[in-house]
Amino acid sequence: MSRIVGAPGALAVAGLVLLGLAAPALAAGLSLASQNLTPYRTCTITGTPAASTAVSDASVRQASATSNFGTSATNNVATGNGANRRLYIRFDLSLCSPTIPSTATVRLATLRIYITAVPASCRTVDVFRVTTSWVESTLTWNNQPFGTTINNPANTSASDTYTIGSPAGCQNLATGAYAVGAVVTTDVALFVAGTATNFGWMLRDDVEGSSTTYTQTYSAKDLGTVGQAPQLVVTYVTAP
Amino acid sequence: MRIGRPCAVVLVLALGVTGAFAASLSASTGTLGAARVATPRCTAAGLSVLQNLSSGTVVSVTVANLPSACGNATLQVTVNNGAANASGSGTVPAAGGSVTITLGSAPAVAAAEQTDLVIIGP
Repeated sequence: MSRIVGAPGALAVAGLVLLGLAAPALAAGLSLASQNLTPYRTCTITGTPAASTAVSDASVRQASATSNFGTSATNNVATGNGANRRLYIRFDLSLCSPTIPSTATVRLATLRIYITAVPASCRTVDVFRVTTSWVESTLTWNNQPFGTTINNPANTSASDTYTIGSPAGCQNLATGAYAVGAVVTTDVALFVAGTATNFGWMLRDDVEGSSTTYTQTYSAKDLGTVGQAPQLVVTYVTAP
Repeated sequence: MRIGRPCAVVLVLALGVTGAFAASLSASTGTLGAARVATPRCTAAGLSVLQNLSSGTVVSVTVANLPSACGNATLQVTVNNGAANASGSGTVPAAGGSVTITLGSAPAVAAAEQTDLVIIGP
């Protein structure tokens, strides 16, 4: 028994040591032993193959107000007197595997469309989050979610803007490259969190109804060229 | 005998504390240990992660917007297209900026790809 009594005495000391010193000792040990680890995860959605439902894209044309261009190989944004064109585009985020958790923090989301023609003037393009549904195969100027009134919605409600055309100083000067500057991080964060439904985006010229027509052209999903397909790139983290 | 019972209590407490430390080691919380030591990270910025394509395959990944705080760190990248994985690694420039990581193989571009990247260090 004396051994039993004696042993708990030693254990008591050990226990006190553990209780009193374990937390800082372990914390210090972990801190010293660990390295900086910065994990990111990216989901890249690409409109390929052309028949894929990963991407829906269609332009609408004021001059062909009842026509659908959902199978066109090109997309347009244009301003002009009766010649305005808008681009609707949506990416199916449910294709990301693994699924982006609703609790994820979206660090950056970029909309990428491939430029094949730029206007002879530096134009500002507004990117708007679409708030009602539309269908690629039936979308027209007349039935588009934002209606037929030009310069609607107001450019102040745009999610982001970028510039395209000439002269130098425009963000996107050249053809044969993906447009830069269409950042939609806030919108994708809403989609991921489930606080907004993903109906994609509408792109239009910042000032529709110009007396001179300015048109920009992008490759559409239906072109079927992988290296020019529309993309949405979402970079996120799952830990705070 | 009089100190036997308190000792048992202390032992139970000590073992309990040990268990609590183990349970709190969770990578998803971004902390380590009961002391809630934050996992050190060199950035929380919105890194740009773009694939570079060739003939319908992903041959490399360019990571941009890297701050100088990540300078000289090792950057590991893995691309998964749902059918295959491809990995590569490189070193972040000392001043940050961007780095292109060439993959060991070139997975085909799919409708959706996952790219995991981990910055180790600096």
